[in-house]
Amino acid sequence: MPTINLRGAQKNYGVNSANAVSNLDLEIRDGEFMCLLGPSGCGKTTTLRMIAGLENLSGGEIRIGDRVVDSIFDGVFVPPEKREMGLVFQSYALWPHLTIERNTDFGLRLRKLPKAEREARVEKVMQALDIAKYRDRYPSQLSGGQQQRVALARMLAVNPGVLLLDEPLSNLDARLRLEMRAELKRLHKEFKTTIVFVTHDQWEAMTLATTIAVMNEGTLQQMGTPNDIYDRPANRFVAEFVGSPPINILSFDKKGTSDVAKEAEAYLSSRYPSLRGIGSVGIRPEALSYATRKEDVPQGNFSGKMVVTGILPTGGSWILELKSDSHTLFLTTHALPRLELGEKVRFFAPPEALHVFDKDGQRITEADKLLRSAKLN
Amino acid sequence: MAFLSDSAKASPTAGGEASAAPSSWQVWRYRLKVASREPTTLIGVLTALLFTYLIVVPIISIVLDAVRVQFGHERRLGKDFGDLTLYYLDRTFTSPVSVDLFWRPLFNTLSVAVGAILLSLLIGTILAWLISRTDMFGRRWFATALIVPYMLPAWTFALAWTTLFKNRTVGGQPGWFEALGWTPPDWVAYGRFPITIILALHYTPFVILLFGSALRRFDSQLEDSARILGAKRYQVAMQIILPLMRPALMSSMILIFAKCLGEFGVPYVLGLPVKFEVLSTSLFRSIASRQTGVAGVVAASIMLIGIITLMIDARLVREARRFVTIGSKGSMNRQSRLGKLRLPATGFAATIFMLSVGLPLLTLFLSTVMKLPAQFTLDNFTLDYWIGQDLHTVALQTGVLLSPDLWAAAKNTLMIVGLASVASGILGLLVGYVVIRTPVRALSVYLRQVTFLPYLVPGIAFAAAYLSLFAVPRGPMPALYGTVTILVLALMADQMPYASRAGISAMTQLGKDPEEAAQIAGAGWFRRMMSIVIPIQKGSLVTGVLLPFISGIKGLSLFVILAVPSTDVLTTYSLRLVDYHYTQAANAVVLIIAAIAYLGTLAAQKLTKTNLAEGLGS
Repeated sequence: MPTINLRGAQKNYGVNSANAVSNLDLEIRDGEFMCLLGPSGCGKTTTLRMIAGLENLSGGEIRIGDRVVDSIFDGVFVPPEKREMGLVFQSYALWPHLTIERNTDFGLRLRKLPKAEREARVEKVMQALDIAKYRDRYPSQLSGGQQQRVALARMLAVNPGVLLLDEPLSNLDARLRLEMRAELKRLHKEFKTTIVFVTHDQWEAMTLATTIAVMNEGTLQQMGTPNDIYDRPANRFVAEFVGSPPINILSFDKKGTSDVAKEAEAYLSSRYPSLRGIGSVGIRPEALSYATRKEDVPQGNFSGKMVVTGILPTGGSWILELKSDSHTLFLTTHALPRLELGEKVRFFAPPEALHVFDKDGQRITEADKLLRSAKLN
Repeated sequence: MAFLSDSAKASPTAGGEASAAPSSWQVWRYRLKVASREPTTLIGVLTALLFTYLIVVPIISIVLDAVRVQFGHERRLGKDFGDLTLYYLDRTFTSPVSVDLFWRPLFNTLSVAVGAILLSLLIGTILAWLISRTDMFGRRWFATALIVPYMLPAWTFALAWTTLFKNRTVGGQPGWFEALGWTPPDWVAYGRFPITIILALHYTPFVILLFGSALRRFDSQLEDSARILGAKRYQVAMQIILPLMRPALMSSMILIFAKCLGEFGVPYVLGLPVKFEVLSTSLFRSIASRQTGVAGVVAASIMLIGIITLMIDARLVREARRFVTIGSKGSMNRQSRLGKLRLPATGFAATIFMLSVGLPLLTLFLSTVMKLPAQFTLDNFTLDYWIGQDLHTVALQTGVLLSPDLWAAAKNTLMIVGLASVASGILGLLVGYVVIRTPVRALSVYLRQVTFLPYLVPGIAFAAAYLSLFAVPRGPMPALYGTVTILVLALMADQMPYASRAGISAMTQLGKDPEEAAQIAGAGWFRRMMSIVIPIQKGSLVTGVLLPFISGIKGLSLFVILAVPSTDVLTTYSLRLVDYHYTQAANAVVLIIAAIAYLGTLAAQKLTKTNLAEGLGS
């Protein structure tokens, strides 16, 4: 499948309503496993449906390779049935009046393939997804996980160049979801299809995707590898959306500046006077460490004194809640904390763990170089 | 503008031309392309035109009749045919005859409706509570049995009543009580009193269904919370249950009112002998005496009252939805123990069943096998009225089952009602499809509303509207009065609210996903219709045909205006027999209709496993 290209894609429902998707540029390359990640209502499902052709555009265009499939300028609209894609719906959308086998066979019949080939392909895909034993049942007789696999099988049977998945795992319980994630990764390898996957679950995106596109309020926030997204969030939204427990944000705004934020401001301005226009600083909970004695804090680290107000075991790791007079920080540690509630500790973080954002919430990239070079010194 | 970090792996560039705004003709060309790709919108436009002609135009036509000089009045009014005039409004509302034409019928309609509402609320709420929240004996059986009155045509009861209470005021065979030596006074035999009772019994199922389902949905935890906070039983009833039940109660009241407004058969049979007129019979009289102008005014007034009432209902339903949202997941339905009252309560339900189903049907049946009323001797029983031959009567010299008239009427009924039901069922599904699927919002809204319009217009007024439009040739359309076509068209249009609602709700329930999945799999529009939409909607298509069919079989008000002897259907045939005082034969035909309606309803329920409450109002 050639590259799918969205250029300035726009969608609004009705002239006066806000854009569900605005001015979206997205490129999906062959063989990629792309996740569209964002909170509900951010336009990720709309984007997926635009690619499939189930929604037409209000602006911009979509190309598959060199072929324009949707464009207002060219007056082109290729309907979904001609786009040769696969889409697995959140609700699975199995046809209730057809057996599992007929559901899987539907697309092949439409393509008027010879019977023998159809049977072979249906058999292969049903085996691959372990649903062959339910072939004569109706969808209502299957469990959620089984239905999910039928929905996948139905699309894989026609061997689409692109497989679009709309939160397909959100209706499954935790165990099944884990299994299906592994299954999807395996299928991606086996069938070598391009996959576009919509989810609001950051771990799903992190574990599955080769590329993640983070969206919010109809616009693309950042596109990159899972590590890029996590380690170098392009703005505060991405930083706060990805990661759990969420990133600690120290806001430098004049109003309501906390004591810890003031310390951070003093720390940065004394060590990196060239940095200006900082709006906020973010520190991931797992980048924070703590020490009970001042001597244990490494040189040059950003640190401060706080009181332990909560120790929350999460199984294998612990979340510490630390409080100063006007700020609360969360810290993740993998070693059993030998601390009492109310005990005073020092938190610290190396300079390269600080994410510096400007007043509009965008990442200050020069800061990265400065803070990282500090480590080398 | 999307923000792209410098570290983004794939950083696409914005297409230069794509970021410029498209010109308006480009937008229109694109929209046309999207809309014309499938026939949905085209079908929508065609059905919208059809229903405009079949529903909107007749209504406009009769409203115009009310303010324009009608044929035959040119000389008296000194104006040409078709000129604007206030004469008919004046005659109906302010002239000396206005009392007889409009005001007294209006008062009678209102008083009968109010009486029927109060009585049915009283009986219905008690029964609904007994059925849904107590341990009364035979609850499940009663839950179905007490709905039966609604499956039977209302004037079945009117005929049963006259069979019992008819007195010497009217000729023909006397009633049973008269025959037994007691002459029922006129107020018992005819007019307001019996009409109110019969309508109340006929519409009590409304209350049982609506109030009962609200009671069942009511979450016992809401009650429990109040009890835990220290509320006494009656405080719970007054402050928690009643306020939450109010929308259901108001809704059933208004539905009953709207139904009473259009009710024709009962007041026709029971009101005529004592000149007790309601709006529908007054309208009928105006049409029968060719007072088309006045008929227009009366019909428009009935429509107006109907529209206002149902708009109030729509508001209440919206309010009710607000209440529903607080209904929680853990909805529990707890039963009250009746204790010592268990037997009397069951007795009460049984009595109501006897009064509203058993007694009327038994009376009607016995009357068809007895020569003289109320003589229970063996030699008085006969099957002559059903299958007799060479009877010594002026007309109808055979039993009704052997009469060719009955079979002609039955054939007509099946053909007319069947055709109309099949058409409205299919159109209903199409309308549902277009309403849910078309990208043109205005079309969807218009179709939804125009097909709902007949619901606001009582059948008799709608029939009058058809008469007004199709009685004379207009443009390419020949005069349709007296043909089967006009009956089929009117019946079809009259059933569209139910058919289109069924279609819309079926399509809403189906959702877009199964069809979109087929689209993704590569199926075009026609293929999707044939292998996905219609097979899945098979059940609702059957209901969409069957429910209008049942309602059409027992319907009277449309036919009584639009049918002529050559297009007689079962209902008008039996009404004619009533007029000629062939009591036994008339009752026999009514029993046949009741049986068809009852069995049809049962079949519809069985086939689709639907609740009757959903077919309410048909």
